Amino acid sequence: MESSPSIMNGPADRLAIGRAAETGLLKKIFGTQLDGPVDLTLILIGACFFLPAILSEAGISNLAYCLVWTFAAIGLSAMWGYGGILSFGQTAFFGLAGYAYGIFTINLGESPAATWGGVLTGLVLCVVLAALLGYMIFYGGIKEVFIGIVTLSVTLVLETFMAQTAGPQWAIGSARLNGFNGMSAMPSLVLPSFAAEPILLEGTNFYFLVLAMLAGVYFITRKLLNSSFGLTLESIRENPHRAEMLGIDIRRYQLAIFVFGSTLGGLSGILYTVWGSYITPSSMGLTAAAMPIIWVATGGRKSLSGVIIATVAMLNLSQELAAYGSQYALVLMGLILLFVVMATPQGLIPTIKEKLGKLFGR
Amino acid sequence: MKQMKKFILGCVVTLPVSLSVLAADPIKLGLLEDASGNFALAVIPKIHATQLAVEEINAKGGVLGRPIKLIHYDTQSDNTKFQEFARRLIQTDKPDVIFGGYSSASREAIRPIMDKAKQLYFYNNQYEGGVCDSNTFATGAVPEQQFSTLVPWLMQKYGKKVYTIAADYNFGQISAEWVRQIVKENGGTMVGEEFIPLSVSQFGQTIQNIQKAKPDFVMTLLVGNVQSAYFEQQAAANLNLPMGSSIQVGQAYEHKRFKSPALKDMYVTTNYIEEVNSPASNDFKKRFKAKFPTEPYITQEAANAYNAVYLYKAAVEKAKSADMIAVRKALETGDICTDGPSGKVCIDPKSHHATHTMYLAHVQGDHTIEFPKTWNDIKPYWLGNAGCNLPVKADYSQYTPSSPPKK
Amino acid sequence: MTLLATAYSYLYQFGDSFAYLTLSSLGLAIIFGMMGVINLAHGEFVMCGAYVTILSAKAGLPLPLAMLVGAVSAAIAGAILERLIVRHLYNRLFDSIVATWAVSLITQQAMLIFAGPSIEGLSTPFHSFEFGEYSFSTYRALLPFFSIAVLAALYGLFFKTNYGIYARATIQNARMARCLGLRTSRIYTMTFALGAGLAGLAGAIYAPTISAVPTMGSSFIVPAFVTVVTGGANVLQGIFPAAGFLGLIQSALSASYGQLAGQIGLLLTVIVIIRMLPQGLGSLFNRK
Repeated sequence: MESSPSIMNGPADRLAIGRAAETGLLKKIFGTQLDGPVDLTLILIGACFFLPAILSEAGISNLAYCLVWTFAAIGLSAMWGYGGILSFGQTAFFGLAGYAYGIFTINLGESPAATWGGVLTGLVLCVVLAALLGYMIFYGGIKEVFIGIVTLSVTLVLETFMAQTAGPQWAIGSARLNGFNGMSAMPSLVLPSFAAEPILLEGTNFYFLVLAMLAGVYFITRKLLNSSFGLTLESIRENPHRAEMLGIDIRRYQLAIFVFGSTLGGLSGILYTVWGSYITPSSMGLTAAAMPIIWVATGGRKSLSGVIIATVAMLNLSQELAAYGSQYALVLMGLILLFVVMATPQGLIPTIKEKLGKLFGR
Repeated sequence: MKQMKKFILGCVVTLPVSLSVLAADPIKLGLLEDASGNFALAVIPKIHATQLAVEEINAKGGVLGRPIKLIHYDTQSDNTKFQEFARRLIQTDKPDVIFGGYSSASREAIRPIMDKAKQLYFYNNQYEGGVCDSNTFATGAVPEQQFSTLVPWLMQKYGKKVYTIAADYNFGQISAEWVRQIVKENGGTMVGEEFIPLSVSQFGQTIQNIQKAKPDFVMTLLVGNVQSAYFEQQAAANLNLPMGSSIQVGQAYEHKRFKSPALKDMYVTTNYIEEVNSPASNDFKKRFKAKFPTEPYITQEAANAYNAVYLYKAAVEKAKSADMIAVRKALETGDICTDGPSGKVCIDPKSHHATHTMYLAHVQGDHTIEFPKTWNDIKPYWLGNAGCNLPVKADYSQYTPSSPPKK
Repeated sequence: MTLLATAYSYLYQFGDSFAYLTLSSLGLAIIFGMMGVINLAHGEFVMCGAYVTILSAKAGLPLPLAMLVGAVSAAIAGAILERLIVRHLYNRLFDSIVATWAVSLITQQAMLIFAGPSIEGLSTPFHSFEFGEYSFSTYRALLPFFSIAVLAALYGLFFKTNYGIYARATIQNARMARCLGLRTSRIYTMTFALGAGLAGLAGAIYAPTISAVPTMGSSFIVPAFVTVVTGGANVLQGIFPAAGFLGLIQSALSASYGQLAGQIGLLLTVIVIIRMLPQGLGSLFNRK
């Protein structure tokens, strides 16, 4: 039981709430509204809408950039933390969706229909390919760490293949894949408006878009994982044999969460491509593939809010270290990661939450 | 809460204004280069050369009386860091010019960001050519300068049968295209062409293919530490063929890192390497080694980076201001030149590239270098001939011989 | 003569590929295959072996001795790593990825800072020999035989010595082994050190053939993982057929369609193999 809306203040009241929570009284009072973490995280995300009043344009742009990666992290948390599926493939779908968006919009223009069509195309492509790959993996009986190896191999094949598509024959319509140098100059997302010009979703507008998407994705994921689907998934992760013997077709559940998680990786890819107007095969390399895993391990693989915070924090940390740490930046980064993983086996954010919880007497 | 917000808002508004008053003095040069990661080996000399140039200029009174402030972010050989720090520079530090980028991918990652912000950007590296961008000035050597000098010379000396091995991505493929074209123009034959993915370090099969094809010389367009294993392996197999390259030696000083005779009979056309023996070069080396005594090698790109700072200085002085549009117009007049360690380097207005002196470097059996030939004042003619005319027509693209600008 | 030369050339390429896959993967086979630790710092053990070999050879040691020193130093580094970090992560697969990744990051950057961006390498020992229209490096032609010798030695170690019995017992069922009086923590350290030492040996062997930079180990990681995973259940018995099969595919594709086909073919083969033989891979982790 995590936090509750603070209609009361003061430690005595908190203690009372805590005791009430233990007896389930609070749940009876507030009904299903008290879905613990949902409220707090959504409130936090809502509060972020007001950040442009405090932070500079550069700060908002950077925060938007960090938030773009959270979808891949949430997807991996759902797959690994809840489903027990270690997928190195987030970056594969990241790249695929990004390229799909680029190809679609370079060919079809920058109207609202074209750009959002690009987003949709990217997501649909991810769903289809994840379903195919997932079918091969789960219905083929591949288990545990070999899922990681297979997804890593897929990612590397894509990277190796895409890196050599530099020639002019590698073009889809008028969009050249352009190999290792990457594809660029794709348009930003636009919203239709009554004015002559459609609303360009750049800068602060882009920030609001990402934030809104994050709220939506978080809500959906939370609901999904709290539902019976999520509980079944966890039971599969705990003991697949037992789940099978109870009559659950574990492959279907694993496939479903794999498609869900991978598509979220694709969403990150689309938003990254939109943000930088650029996508390259090195987004699908070994280093890039390891990043979501590091964020989820730090954030606590079962804590969605932890994963979001960890992703933003680690990206920011990496930037600040690179800007001010000179040649020691990477060493410091490694040391911090090492410390986090050794000292906080549950993940940094859940450990902090736990300690804070103890502090407030719950 | 409202008071707090007002206070913060007030600070946020006045702080940049007051800071900008203080900052009106220095000219800000943003530097995006890799001091760590895969490319550090080739890029660290560039960073040092830039620092040397800035220090020298500031010691002599700066540009238009203003000191240059160098703002360097370590991009860690990571394209996403390039994007992040490009944005950070443009939005927070607001530089007057940005220098940077080693791999073409990193340049292409930030060019859209530079173009969106209309930011003046210098790419000071040898590359595959073709960038016709109003905001970008590419001061490194390009294929028409390197291959049109090297390949005919090698064909005359060794024979007309050529085998190319190239890194399997844009730079390698486009360079190989250039080689193919020039070989054909000079009446030669390509007896083989191989493209090697960047992660390959074992070249057994390639060496055998070369032996089977029996070329007169091999054009090696290999990129990165991993692929450089080729040289040791071909020497171990006693391939014994002369090699030509536009990229080896000048960036990653393989002749110092591999034991002889791995690089024996490698011929490279470069606009500068440490071994160039001219008064300007020796003076430059002296100053460089005085500031950076432990530098393993002064590379081609170090000289480019050094020249670029002086070229920028000349342009600002001609424009009499650091305003980006004025400086760009000054660079497009055609009289912006600098006399650097490699000789005279001038900016070509049409294509925003630079004319260079090309030195033919020959690595001998004991890995010392001799210079059998030097070509002066080689212009970057291809883009201009192909239709890129930036003072007249704005453009933001990269072209290749097989997809030139639309006429 | 030409037919014979061409046939030998194919055999040579196959042997070359086989040796590279075998030597890269042996260390990881022990650490990942037997102990279940995903060691992303594998490349750094390779780099350690290579650097120490080069520095020892330059200091005057004869090359075989320098290589031994390189391998041993990697083993010592592995023992230290195991004691400090890895032993806390035995049942935490996910976290072992992050921890070894962090170690890899720290090591690469530290090497760059303290040893510079590169060091001068060694020449490949022995010379070359000719066969028909081709010439081959003698050293590389001998590598396949060397890798088989190492495999045989490893087999002997695990099946014919006391240590081997203790190690296999510990890995199969640590609790039981402890009940029977084995010092399991020491055995873990020794086995991890053995894996690290084998990785260092790969670095030592290949040091005279590739460029010596801090990131040199990263090109060994993917071939290593790919071979170990294909090798399957019984790691020691699986490496030989895995390296053979993958080596065959890679050398055949490279010869016919170029290096790109070889690389992609290798990765696709892994996917196919895992898909086709998932049962045999189940008992890879004997320690759970």
